[in-house]
Amino acid sequence: MGSANLQSKSYEVSDTSEAIEFYYDKGWTDGLPIVPPTEASIRAMLDAAKLEPGQEIAFIENRQVSVTAEKVAINAVMAGCKPEYMPVVVAAVEAIGDPRYGYHGPAASTGGSAVFMLVNGPMARELDINCGDNLFGPGWRANATIGRAVRLIMRNAIGTLPGKLDRSTLGHPGKYTYCIAENEAESPWPPVHVERGFRPEQNAVTVFAALAPHQVSNQLSNTAAGVLTTMADSMHISGSVTGQPQYVVVLAGEHMRTIASDGWSKADVKQFLFEHTHNSIAHLKRTNRMPGAVLPEDETTMRPLVQTPEDFIVIAAGGRAGVASAFIPGWGGRSSSQSVTKEIRRP
Amino acid sequence: MDKQIRVFDPTTTPKEQALCYAPRPTTLQGKKVGLVENTKYNSDTLLLKIGKILQEEYGVQGMLLRRKRNAGVPAHEEIIGEIKAECDVVIAGVGD
Repeated sequence: MGSANLQSKSYEVSDTSEAIEFYYDKGWTDGLPIVPPTEASIRAMLDAAKLEPGQEIAFIENRQVSVTAEKVAINAVMAGCKPEYMPVVVAAVEAIGDPRYGYHGPAASTGGSAVFMLVNGPMARELDINCGDNLFGPGWRANATIGRAVRLIMRNAIGTLPGKLDRSTLGHPGKYTYCIAENEAESPWPPVHVERGFRPEQNAVTVFAALAPHQVSNQLSNTAAGVLTTMADSMHISGSVTGQPQYVVVLAGEHMRTIASDGWSKADVKQFLFEHTHNSIAHLKRTNRMPGAVLPEDETTMRPLVQTPEDFIVIAAGGRAGVASAFIPGWGGRSSSQSVTKEIRRP
Repeated sequence: MDKQIRVFDPTTTPKEQALCYAPRPTTLQGKKVGLVENTKYNSDTLLLKIGKILQEEYGVQGMLLRRKRNAGVPAHEEIIGEIKAECDVVIAGVGD
């Protein structure tokens, strides 16, 4: 496989240091040094996913850009990926090219979202994608480089440059990388990809246009309702509030066990959060989140934070110890961008 | 120093598209204006104000305001078809 000639323009440099500076000079990095993509390393990426260089992985309609396997491979090398990560990166690029994700909105918006990626299935464990301690922090090559590869592809192959096509007012650190796995080994619940119709032994990546994670602390409750009451209270005014985006809810070790020991399923968690995150129209108007004067009926007219309970994506992940969990508001609204799950095809 | 490493370009050039603009009318007198609202707060207010100015100062005879599905996507076929059928010119814009 991968025997066809590479089509990308190439350059000769003296050594790795010169290559790193050359990529900075060209504006081809995210601010961190890159791994120089040589023919051998690019071909190793392509071979790991059994792809020919010219194969189209995604077509970004608004940009009229065809993202080929060759460009995915080059950027994956630059990000520091191992070749065996390539199928995950490919699936993630397919997912952000899906019309339901709606690439242009979250990529270009002043709202400043990142591509959150959840990896499910046996490959997550084989590739050592962290699902435990320091979940969103540094220390794992797969988490650091798979997410980085997708961002470099957005920048280099799709042209999503900050200040140009990426007009984020603030952005957030997840734009460097935002990739986790679900703790399927210890979770009492079906993993996200199984909830979405895949078999447990299949591998899948879920992409989600996401704002930054918000940590929620509760060290007092030993009931599901107690823990989730705190979560709901923290969530109900967050993100774009009135846009009704989807949300990721990350339940870490202690909270996961507390909720499960009360016999609650993921569906129960979603229903509880749905019912306890409504806001009155009056409050939304008084706090300048909705336009218009407050009418008497606004006091009792409630607006849910999300459109349906299924818009909460519940993930079991994070360290075993500690009293924190997290929620992640989606960008915009569900009508503009939805989370998308794609199978990772093993070579 | 001898050049020893060959490295590859990670960027892509977008596919070139030929854009063809519709012929512009020489006057707005008696014309109907389509207004494409992008769903952002006050975008309808702004467009209707522009439409009113066009009516009062440029002789526009009618307006048709239509709403996109959301700000991040192109106008959908249904409203494009309606505006093409009924209007002579169209105003669309994105802004926060």
